[in-house]
Amino acid sequence: MEMLMRGLNKVAILGGNGTMGSLSGGIFAQADIPCLYFERTAEEAKYGIEKAVKQAKSAILREYIIPKTYNDLEKELPDCDWILEALSENIDLKRGYLEKVDKSRKRGSVVSTISSGLSIEELAQNRSSDFKAHFLGMHFFNPPGKLIANELIYHTDNSETFKKNIYEFCEKVLRRANIIVRNIAGFAGNRIGFQLLNEAAVYAELLGVDRMDYLIGPYTGRTLPPLATLDLVGLDVHRAIVQNIYQKTNDERHETFRMPGYLQKMIDRNMLGMKTPSNGGFYFKDENKERYILEPSTLKYRRTRHVNSEVIEHVKQHIHDGNYKKAVSVLKNDKSEEASIARHFILGYVSFSFFRVGEVTPEENGIHGIDRVMAYGFSWMPPSGWVDFLGGPKETVRLIEEADLPVPEALRNLPEEKLCKIPDIPRFLIAV
Amino acid sequence: MQKRVYILGGFQTDFARNWTREGKSVQAMINEVMEGAFAAANIEPVEIQAAHVGNFAGELFTMQAHFGALVLNYDPVLRGIPTARHEAACASGSIAALAARTEIEAGLHDLVLVLGVELMKSVDSKRGGDYLGTAAWYEKECKGISFPFPKLFDRIYDLYNELYGVDYEHLAQISAINYANAKRNPKAQTRDWYMNKQHACSTGEFNKAIGNTLRATDCCQVTDGAAVVFLCSQDYAESYCARHSLNLDDIPYIQGWGHKTAPILIDDKIEDARKNEYALPYTRRAILDAYTRAGISGIKEISCIETHDCFTITEYAAIEHLGFTKPGEGWKAIEDGVIEFDGSCPINPSGGLIGGGHPVGATGTRQLLDACLQVTGKAGDYQVPGAKRVATLNIGGSATTNVVHIIGAGN
Repeated sequence: MEMLMRGLNKVAILGGNGTMGSLSGGIFAQADIPCLYFERTAEEAKYGIEKAVKQAKSAILREYIIPKTYNDLEKELPDCDWILEALSENIDLKRGYLEKVDKSRKRGSVVSTISSGLSIEELAQNRSSDFKAHFLGMHFFNPPGKLIANELIYHTDNSETFKKNIYEFCEKVLRRANIIVRNIAGFAGNRIGFQLLNEAAVYAELLGVDRMDYLIGPYTGRTLPPLATLDLVGLDVHRAIVQNIYQKTNDERHETFRMPGYLQKMIDRNMLGMKTPSNGGFYFKDENKERYILEPSTLKYRRTRHVNSEVIEHVKQHIHDGNYKKAVSVLKNDKSEEASIARHFILGYVSFSFFRVGEVTPEENGIHGIDRVMAYGFSWMPPSGWVDFLGGPKETVRLIEEADLPVPEALRNLPEEKLCKIPDIPRFLIAV
Repeated sequence: MQKRVYILGGFQTDFARNWTREGKSVQAMINEVMEGAFAAANIEPVEIQAAHVGNFAGELFTMQAHFGALVLNYDPVLRGIPTARHEAACASGSIAALAARTEIEAGLHDLVLVLGVELMKSVDSKRGGDYLGTAAWYEKECKGISFPFPKLFDRIYDLYNELYGVDYEHLAQISAINYANAKRNPKAQTRDWYMNKQHACSTGEFNKAIGNTLRATDCCQVTDGAAVVFLCSQDYAESYCARHSLNLDDIPYIQGWGHKTAPILIDDKIEDARKNEYALPYTRRAILDAYTRAGISGIKEISCIETHDCFTITEYAAIEHLGFTKPGEGWKAIEDGVIEFDGSCPINPSGGLIGGGHPVGATGTRQLLDACLQVTGKAGDYQVPGAKRVATLNIGGSATTNVVHIIGAGN
């Protein structure tokens, strides 16, 4: 591991043209580390390099990244200190390439996968012992130039020294906010984030897409409303994530991971969101940039309706003025259906997050690892930030009970003191 | 002996935030910075006796003026205190501090809140650039000119180039140092931006010329932000220390200050420059006044500097005006590494304006806050080891209003 300390000579990126491969590789290049972008053709690799250049907003990055094809793997990998696998989220495809990596890599080189939820142990099955000792999951969030969270999923064969060196390298050289997570479906961020996103999609069938995105909009502590987020993520990716979690976990809100039927129909019709602009997703923009809204029951688009609620506007006005305590007080106490739905999602998110302490992140880290991944990976209000805003653990437990949601013991047992260590949490309350 | 005016710390907002994108008003920014400041300094709002606010162009950027009164919206207990808003372009925050210090020295108040604030990302860059032109003589120097300020500072570059010759790599080095320092500062605007000297030396799509010579990497960026410091009398500082079991010797105080105004027109400044040893004679005089009032001989007695680097050429000029080198030899301090973070007298360990951000009316206050953090050993990852005395240089307009503070702790 000395190379991490003295500086890496060369990093290989497998899948250099994909969004995560090109942009994550760019983070290494931004640390002045020479990178090789592997793709099927050199042209595709060059296309990936341009994405990294655009992310860094600097032409200098072109000097740090060299395009390569997979035909060059055998020749180039022995020179690489780190191999970053960022291929499509398909376990067979990944394992096939990792086998090739195992044959060509030099002993001691780091191999990381950027998988957003596949099992690290399964990916490393049948690999050499040196490979396993230096293999880990390193899950960046999209776009890594703006979202600095980095879920670290260590392999059971990693040594303590290896883990420590990787952690320090990611923090100091790559400038990531590391979160150690367990090797469990969806890890921490996607397990928690996609619970809310999928439940929002379920509710949208009853309440409408625009109404749902309005009720659980940015004022509830997120940059983007949930269904607009799914359009950005892509419904195919959403399906892969929630199905994986649904199959491999069984928690107190298991059924909220069951994808609603209309989403499957959308996927069948290639209505995946922003990646299929001509087909749309929850939203569709015509050639005049006019925005239309999906009607889940018919999968047809309709014009935008003006969605408005007095209580939500009241909360947003308080946020606009910087009176956050008043905003939360309205949200807590209002008896309207709108406020009740908002509370269900906010408190559901808090409840689900605290239930995951010890399951997705180490018990000894308490809620703080989960806070970091939600703040720096999703740009969502960290769950303990909500607990502080809502009036502390005891009051939050009362509200969770009142909302008829399961109460996590990890929250019930906390002392009545400020919990959130993430600075500047009001920035997550957005009044647009 | 005149009693000292102390600074009890304060708070700044995260300068990377975009408050318009968050759907928040300038009042929200004021509320947040005040909440942070009261918590950081362990002071109750009811103790505040007066407030001075530095703000440059709230009327233009936010359609809001009367910033002194906005402070009272934070807490009803503040109702009735005297307040004022001060405007001196980019030096507004320092001017607010000068007013507060004067009132305390005059025995009018014991504890005064100084707040600098600017919300600028409310408009597009072209319009914002035009608004910034009001810091010069707008009608004569800026009207109808796209991004007038880089062009005015180009004139200072031209002057230096004519008098002494300027190697652009030295400006690129200044930029790279400020960006590198900003990476240590968790509240710096550019802490996560990609930047190095190679990029600063590059030209093209990602580093366009903004003036005739100066490029994007030579300029500080449009920023939203606010900063607060609490100024107090010696009597108040003593009681504060007694209440919080602190040692008065550990509390920063204003050791010296200087304040000089140059003619607003760049043509007049250049005319003055040609008759003087220093290119910016009023900046130099403000610095010398501050050194004299602090009873120090010069830069050798300063641990680090927070200077005004609205453009790299501004910092390039500041180096010699602060006394690092003789006039025309500022490049030597750059080449020798003196001003780098681990140099003998680092400039802008916070990242300054180029790396940290420049919310115009807040910058002077932010510099004072950083000076306090340095001399109390609380600057975290951008702490200059053993910093005892820090100088701030805050400049409004095209080097028009010049304010210097020397902040130190101990005897």
